[in-house]
Amino acid sequence: MVLVLAIGDLHIPHRAPDLPAKFKSMLVPGKIQHILCTGNLCIKEVHDYLKSLSPDLHITRGEYDEDVRYPENKTLMIGQFKLGLCHGHQIVPWGDLDSLAMLQRQLDVDILVTGHTHQFKAYKHEGGVVINPGSATGAYSSITYDVNPSFVLMDIDGLRVVVYVYELIDGEVKVDKIDFKKTATTQSAH
Amino acid sequence: MEAEAPGNGTGDAKAMGKKGVPEWLNSSLWASSSSPPASASTTAAARLPRSPPSPKIVAPARAPIPKPPPPPRPPQPPSEAPRPSVDAPPDDRSPSRLSQEEVSRQFQLLAELSKKVVNIGELRRLASQGIPDGTGIRSIVWKLLLGYLPYEREFWMQELAKKRSQYKAFKEEFLMNPSEMARRLEESVGHKNEALETGGRGFLMRSEITHDEHPLSLGKTSVWNQFFQETEIIEQIERDVKRTHPDMQFFCGDSSLAKSNQEALRHILIIFAKLNPGIRYVQGMNEILAPLFYVLRNDPDQNNAVYAEADAFFCFVELLSGFRDNFCQKLDNSVVGIRYTISKLSELLKKHDGELWRHLEITTKVNPQFYAFRWITLLLTQEFNFVDSLHIWDALLSDPDGPQETLLRVCCAMLILVRKRLLAGDFTSNLKLLQNYPQTNINHLLYVANKLHGSSAG
Repeated sequence: MVLVLAIGDLHIPHRAPDLPAKFKSMLVPGKIQHILCTGNLCIKEVHDYLKSLSPDLHITRGEYDEDVRYPENKTLMIGQFKLGLCHGHQIVPWGDLDSLAMLQRQLDVDILVTGHTHQFKAYKHEGGVVINPGSATGAYSSITYDVNPSFVLMDIDGLRVVVYVYELIDGEVKVDKIDFKKTATTQSAH
Repeated sequence: MEAEAPGNGTGDAKAMGKKGVPEWLNSSLWASSSSPPASASTTAAARLPRSPPSPKIVAPARAPIPKPPPPPRPPQPPSEAPRPSVDAPPDDRSPSRLSQEEVSRQFQLLAELSKKVVNIGELRRLASQGIPDGTGIRSIVWKLLLGYLPYEREFWMQELAKKRSQYKAFKEEFLMNPSEMARRLEESVGHKNEALETGGRGFLMRSEITHDEHPLSLGKTSVWNQFFQETEIIEQIERDVKRTHPDMQFFCGDSSLAKSNQEALRHILIIFAKLNPGIRYVQGMNEILAPLFYVLRNDPDQNNAVYAEADAFFCFVELLSGFRDNFCQKLDNSVVGIRYTISKLSELLKKHDGELWRHLEITTKVNPQFYAFRWITLLLTQEFNFVDSLHIWDALLSDPDGPQETLLRVCCAMLILVRKRLLAGDFTSNLKLLQNYPQTNINHLLYVANKLHGSSAG
């Protein structure tokens, strides 16, 4: 039972002052084992805040991030799943599922977490699953102003993943879930 | 009764000199006598343990039961006693060297156990003298003494089956983490998951959450929230289990045996904590559970040893039921709490050895709480080595009134046995001595404790 938080595109302080209060009250330290952050935090204070939630923090660089040392993509293994992380502004057309599928095959991961569009998406294709946690602060994106704050929490349990989607709609937190599993660990040829 | 009469000792020794009465018979332990006399007169003095008793732990040295005239012969090293079956001083725990007396007790115990209806009074009496090691009957005797097994043999099987399945149900209820719970719930509803490999593309189906059941939920009824709130206790239990008896292969180490034993201990303590929200888990419960589990797991009958976890759980509950109040902080100052129990020990010491009591509590100001707290709450598991504490537990569990009475007597006996050193010591040295109680002949200790029972009137 490993809890992985996928969050990103906060754009603090340029486009939003802080996370919504209701989200902040739920995100307490001690519950989450890993955090995958798609990028565009943008400042160190946000980095420190996320670090306080969980010691294992992974961030990839978004185009507005002030810290230039974050990598462009990252892959890691959690339980039986390989996860990939990338901000997504590098993939053109932005948010295009076929192009993201290409990146996923390139990184060779089961679950790819990207952002940039500020819209939650959970999409499956032959190579695996793409999850976009959206923007946790509801900041406007390069594409649209109409953004609901959202983030994603994945519960990885053996070969099964339950994805909990947290969205703030009209001031209320709405939680949905998505279930998927893989049938066996794929033998990797490295 | 603590009248100092220096002349007495020597006189007694001379009178009984022919019997080879050990020198410390005349110690102030016995009501009539006082300080140990000059040792020269007794023939066996050279070979005898002095008070405090010798460090050698001798297995078979027990007073023969039906010795009619008082004073009863105290335990002697076998080289002294005319025991035909033992020609050399036996070494400590090898079953092949059980003394005749132990063999007879083992026989009696086995006879008792094979009866259709166990006579619990008789079993208690036999057990209080110690269950011989290496015979493998300790497991069953303890189960009977703790009331886990009924007295009628014919009911054993069904009772055991019932309890074991109950424990299994507990495990399923309490040891599942919320992920598994959610999964079981879904499987029962017949929900089908998307499988990654099944090709095709498309958006993944979203489904609604019911009852606020998500990992970050702060709701009181949420299983997730409850789970996270209990993590603290579970972490504490895990830490303590890892530290239990680090010197024993059975409990500690990298072997799969040690790991499975630790896991069993952990399960038992977690389930106990969840079933008893009043006291939850308190540090020290692992120490009380450890000997129980050890004995039950080493049952030579494999059918029983396999279920050691379940059996140990119920025995643990039973054993703790008499002592729960010691672990509840709020009851510390009440009539049933630990402070009262310690004061009872104090009273007991005062009654039996006023001089020592005065010296300890008033002169050197060694508050019994400094040493007796651990003795009492952990049932003496920390004061002696593991095997000795099993022997002490034989005596404790065989008390029909519950272990506490015997426990206090044993504690009192522990104090009396080192009285010489205590009387000569100041606060620091006394405290040091009592917090690191020296190795003792357990049989002698239990014997003295038993004597206190008899002379409680005086």
